[in-house]
Amino acid sequence: MKWTRSALIFLLAIFSTQGAKATTAEDVNSFTLDNGMKIMVLEDSSIPNANMYLFWKVGSRNEVPGITGISHFFEHMMFNGSKKYGPKMFDRTMEAAGGANNAYTTEDMTVYTDWFPATALETIFDLEADRIANLDIDPDMVESERGVVQSERTTGLENSNWRSLQEALKGGAFSAHPYSWSVIGYESDIAAWTLEDLQQYHKTYYAPNNAVVVIVGDVKLAEVKRLANTYFAPIPAQAPPKAVRTVEPLQKGERRVFVKKESVSTPNVMLAYHIPATSHADYYALDLLADILSQGNSSRFYQGLVDKQLATAAETYVPMSFDPNLFYILGVANQGVDASTLELALLEQINQVALQGVTAQELEKVKNIKLMNFYRQMETINGKANTLGTYEMYFGSYEKLFSAPERYNQVTPEDIQRVAQTYLIRANRTVGVLAAVEESDQ
Amino acid sequence: MNRPLNLFKTTFAAATIAGALVLGGCASTESSTVVQTGSFTLPEYQTLILSNGLKVNLMVQKEVPLITFNAVVRAGSVNDTASGLAHVTAQGLMLGAGGQSKSDIEQTLDFMGASISTSASKEGSYVDALLMSKDLDKVLPIFKNVLMAPDFDLAEFNKLQQREVVGLAQQKESPRAVISRYFNKLVFAKHPYANPTSGNSESVANISVEQLRAFHKGFYQPNNVAISVVGDFDPQQMQAKLEQTFGQWQNSEAVVQTPLAEGLPQLTQSQVLLVDKPDAIETTFVIGGMGIPFDNPDYVGLTVVNTILGGRFTSWLNDELRVNAGLTYGARSSFVPYSQSGVFYISTFTKAETTKEAIDLALKTYARLWQKGVDQATLDSAKAYVKGQFPPKYETADQLAGLMSNMHLYGFGNDYINQFQAKVDSLTLAETQRLIKQYFPQQNLQYVLIGNAEKIADVAKQYGEVTKIDIKESGFGK
Repeated sequence: MKWTRSALIFLLAIFSTQGAKATTAEDVNSFTLDNGMKIMVLEDSSIPNANMYLFWKVGSRNEVPGITGISHFFEHMMFNGSKKYGPKMFDRTMEAAGGANNAYTTEDMTVYTDWFPATALETIFDLEADRIANLDIDPDMVESERGVVQSERTTGLENSNWRSLQEALKGGAFSAHPYSWSVIGYESDIAAWTLEDLQQYHKTYYAPNNAVVVIVGDVKLAEVKRLANTYFAPIPAQAPPKAVRTVEPLQKGERRVFVKKESVSTPNVMLAYHIPATSHADYYALDLLADILSQGNSSRFYQGLVDKQLATAAETYVPMSFDPNLFYILGVANQGVDASTLELALLEQINQVALQGVTAQELEKVKNIKLMNFYRQMETINGKANTLGTYEMYFGSYEKLFSAPERYNQVTPEDIQRVAQTYLIRANRTVGVLAAVEESDQ
Repeated sequence: MNRPLNLFKTTFAAATIAGALVLGGCASTESSTVVQTGSFTLPEYQTLILSNGLKVNLMVQKEVPLITFNAVVRAGSVNDTASGLAHVTAQGLMLGAGGQSKSDIEQTLDFMGASISTSASKEGSYVDALLMSKDLDKVLPIFKNVLMAPDFDLAEFNKLQQREVVGLAQQKESPRAVISRYFNKLVFAKHPYANPTSGNSESVANISVEQLRAFHKGFYQPNNVAISVVGDFDPQQMQAKLEQTFGQWQNSEAVVQTPLAEGLPQLTQSQVLLVDKPDAIETTFVIGGMGIPFDNPDYVGLTVVNTILGGRFTSWLNDELRVNAGLTYGARSSFVPYSQSGVFYISTFTKAETTKEAIDLALKTYARLWQKGVDQATLDSAKAYVKGQFPPKYETADQLAGLMSNMHLYGFGNDYINQFQAKVDSLTLAETQRLIKQYFPQQNLQYVLIGNAEKIADVAKQYGEVTKIDIKESGFGK
């Protein structure tokens, strides 16, 4: 079968460098410090650069009302001063060494990304260790950073229909679990959290036993080990954070939300269905179902909606997730198509999969697309670092990356139909509409 | 699909700066420090010119078993006889080719995990193919037909045209997505660089399929095209395949280019374009003027100086407007070069109530270039930064193929990459003063503000002569 051969190529090629021998999972080196911090290293000298990705198991799922958005705000505060490197010095020191950085926060985790010439490796270790061990939260920086985050929130809502609609829709789909609120949090919470809230957050979540570190690039394992022992090993472990206890109750009927935005030229319709966590066996079938619906112009959504001039775009999104989350579908209406017509057209495509299933050919197609996407991630040192860390976080081990092709390969057309019938049903969905005018009752 | 569920620290991200298209004091007695960032040179490649004038670049990269083809045609919106024609022609290439229908092509490519995408910019039109090496013989004939023999099927064209017109209105839902089109129109006025590549809703609605055919015939000719191939392939076999595939392609007529060095505007007064978006919850603005062409010998030096002003997180603009004042999530500045000219602008956004505060702080910070200039420590840091962040811009087959296309289109050579580090290292403080004086627009600045006019009209008039338009009006300015 075609996929089997492709999967083999994938395994062989995944970490091979130019002209070098093909490599396997064994070529990723991993070690754990006594304080519980796990570090993965992949040597790659294709460019004279390297990176360090730090994955922290803290995101908006760890928040409660009153401090919503604090995980993301904290991500900002990690750049605002520590014992050795005071306010502004983290960025100034890194950039003067030729490095750049960013960070991102999701519902589940906070990730810090440093990209630098390999010559700057020790500087990066020094900077990261200082802010993990000795963050010094300056009250003045907290206040100016509130303005920054308010602006980040506003500019997201101004420029992205997805952001505006998803924020409202999550509130409808989740009644109990913290996935109910957006990662950026409520405006009132951004204005109100205290210095004490922040200090407690750092102590609880920024402990070395709550992190996974990935380093990929023009580095040597022995040198990385030496630096990790010098800079990270002395940071003490903490008691593990409390588990998130709340389990979202079963949804027992369709829910609906409407968001009015006057400048929207055609309606946007978002559907969200509850699905299990990424660690569940159905993840692979759901992920491939999303691709069958929306990947490429040969997809069911393009053929059934865009080509029929009902929509200008129709997309899916299945986030990787620690807890049960949502299968998202977004349609953007063509001119003259109202929200309910678009909604019915999306549902028709979903129902066809549930009723009639998919063909073996279209399943093989999305497996090939998946393979192409893997290759593209593996083309850069940053793609490698992010993929290794993501698999470690969501599947419990980076080694699962190497069995992923086989897991996708095992999915059958019957599996696709089964997950559509199981999850993409009316009682399990929330429908969101974003439009300039709400339809009238009269 | 990658949806913005995640929130980022900043909009400055080395990993997301695409290609080379965006470039990113007082003298003192301090000594300069050169930070070593490792050497980086362009991987080897070979260039062939076929007998019909078609240029082919071949670069082998074997990290993953993929191949990228990037064809660039010297034709863009500067050549538009109807606004949006180059763009719609490029989109139209995918409506069926060589007798194979649109949906048949899409099915075939998707099944292999391959893709072909087409686009246009101000001066170039592009056909990009991405495929697994094992599928070369299946994808190459489609790539050839899309480039050389598009069918421009009428029924498919009518559907595309309708979606494009609706899409132009949808794009205006995001001020950030469209503000540079308004700015170019304001700066270049009647010059072809003012033409928005997307066209406008009225012009696109009136384009005919015959105009697409004529545009294709006039510009998509072998002596007006370069194809760059990067990835995992055997160069000798690839050369033979390309000669076989494209060798018979005939030039049909003389290519007529638009003169771009002529009629460049002189900006003699400050103008403010106020774009009213009544439900705006923030003001998005840009401030700037004329920039530099791609082949300017000071391009690299200006990259360094602009990095200090607004090209990185610790840049003056981001430090003042974001870090110190908390007025915005990000502020930056950019040179955007074209072949014969370019633009420079500062860009940021803030809530309506702080529009004046943010504009004034941006102008005050910008004025530091002339009032205080750059100091040695900041210059050393910026030099290390641009060198250190340079190699990842040319890491993938896609990036390398795009680079070679730009080298062809804008007339710069391997030295841009291979001499980059040395040029950065040689930049002195005295030289930065010359660059500031010579290139950064200081007088007659141009402004575009997109926001709620009711709240910001009084602010707008403090910076120059105001023209107000509604964001829903067709096009991007008067």
